[in-house]
Amino acid sequence: MAKLSKRQKGDMWFAILLLVPTILVLVRIFIWPIYQSLVWSFYHYNLLDGSAARFIGLKNYVYTLTDPQFWMSTWRAIYFTVFTCSIELVLGLFSALLLNQVFRGRTIFRAMIIIPWASLTLVNGLLWNWILQPQNGALQVVMHALHLLPQHANPNWLASTDGSVIWAGVADIWKMTPFMTLLLLAGLQSISGELYEASMMDGAGFWRKVWSITIPQLTPAIIVALVLRIMGTFRVYDILTVFTGDPSSSVTYLTMNYGFRYFYMGKASAMAWTSTLFILALIIVYIRMMKKNMDEQT
Amino acid sequence: MKRIQKSSSDIIPSGYLWTGLIILAVVTLAPFVYLVASSLSNKVELLDGHLIPHHPTFLNYVHLFQGTDGANFLHAMLNSVEVAILTTLISMIIGVFAAYAFARLHFPFRITSLFAVLAMQILPSVSIIVPLYVLFRNGITIGIPFTHVVFYHSPPLLDTIWALVVAYTAGSLPFVIWLMSGYFQSVPKELEEAATVDGTGRFGTMFKIILPLSLPGLAATFIFTLLNNWDEFMFASAFTTTFASKTVPVAIQEFIGRHSMDWGLMTAGGFIATLPPVIISFFFYRYIVNGVTAGGVKG
Repeated sequence: MAKLSKRQKGDMWFAILLLVPTILVLVRIFIWPIYQSLVWSFYHYNLLDGSAARFIGLKNYVYTLTDPQFWMSTWRAIYFTVFTCSIELVLGLFSALLLNQVFRGRTIFRAMIIIPWASLTLVNGLLWNWILQPQNGALQVVMHALHLLPQHANPNWLASTDGSVIWAGVADIWKMTPFMTLLLLAGLQSISGELYEASMMDGAGFWRKVWSITIPQLTPAIIVALVLRIMGTFRVYDILTVFTGDPSSSVTYLTMNYGFRYFYMGKASAMAWTSTLFILALIIVYIRMMKKNMDEQT
Repeated sequence: MKRIQKSSSDIIPSGYLWTGLIILAVVTLAPFVYLVASSLSNKVELLDGHLIPHHPTFLNYVHLFQGTDGANFLHAMLNSVEVAILTTLISMIIGVFAAYAFARLHFPFRITSLFAVLAMQILPSVSIIVPLYVLFRNGITIGIPFTHVVFYHSPPLLDTIWALVVAYTAGSLPFVIWLMSGYFQSVPKELEEAATVDGTGRFGTMFKIILPLSLPGLAATFIFTLLNNWDEFMFASAFTTTFASKTVPVAIQEFIGRHSMDWGLMTAGGFIATLPPVIISFFFYRYIVNGVTAGGVKG
């Protein structure tokens, strides 16, 4: 190790002093629990049957991976994620393009789109559930009024779990598109106007400009926003609890059910770890990108 | 009035721009307006499917705050406020120091630890929820590790707001560190060096130079953390069993179950619960935009 100057040594001790509270807290309430849940995932550990925890090897994982409910919920979570994130990206991009223009009252519009994002997630789920109610829900009333739906038709959109998952996606899109918009707006602001001016000389129209300037320039922001949203959406819980009441509608929901309804702590831990591994892969991709980004800046 | 300067990044023609903006406004506001309108409707009108009440009434709000249910709802509001503020304060006080170390000081494994913190921030909370439950059931022990020396053993924390404060801190602290270290990095180094030359100590430079200059960042982080904790539902539903510690989202969900979907009551409760974050984000709009962009794009 290279010899440190007096100043550098001082820096190091000061850094350690500043970091100690964080390290103590995070080790106690984050790192240790994660480790513990890894250990328990190899144990038969049931809070309700009163038996002592005992080591059972990979049985919890075998149980998880052969459980059709687990796969069903995982597929639904992936489905939900792809559906909401792709639509959020498209809508978010267009809203960001709109709000990036110069017009009177721009600040009001920019502040307005935060309302859905600021509303409580659970309330958002309930609100959309109310909108989708058969007979007296707003969507049916509006569709009847606009003659988009035959007057006697009274569909129950939330009757099946698969249908509910899609409508929960709609609720999520309404709430989280603003977040996407804000992230992309930040990216748009760094694109220089000269690029557009140059393309104007070539007589490029709107779509051409978006396709050959905006999207390539915005790619880093798009990727970061997408990764953040994918990780957020994959673990969705609150919206689905009020929409479906069916634990197999999302992995998180299923895990929570194992843990806090039946108190199978070992199985819940194994399940949490299995789905966490999916996300961990994404996190690694994200971190590598961030690191690259950081290296380029310095 | 000043003429609005067109910029060359304005790529959408004016007519399409305003069509788009109107659609955006309607889609954004309509569900929210419907929430408010429903909360002001009586039962008959809700069942008839009237979108806008013909005879607006505050009856749902009166019911919401009346009797035992009302007391419970108010208590849940109070719990939410307490939990959100306590968590935010604790994570900010601890996290700001760490963020400063990450942003300003050189020590071994600095970048690696910073990215470990980032990984903690994005790991799903379901992966720590089971051990935290057991931890809270047994009570937290503070002592010297690997010895039997115990300074303090807390009573079981399940069904107290402290369980939520501790659990939320696990999520908020990495977030605060990541966001704040980004802000600290944007403060010019020269200012700090000048202060050091003037003989200001390490703590002095931090408190007198860096922190005051990072006020917008501190505000953004504070508001962002506050909103996140107000919204949290999963931990809250796992760790609380009675109204002693239920927060607003859990209370609203319970409310609905017991009254077999009283939509009037739900919309009234939902509106009240949504009001604080919406008002906060309207007033601190600029900070929130900063927070979102700094947290995601800049790093």
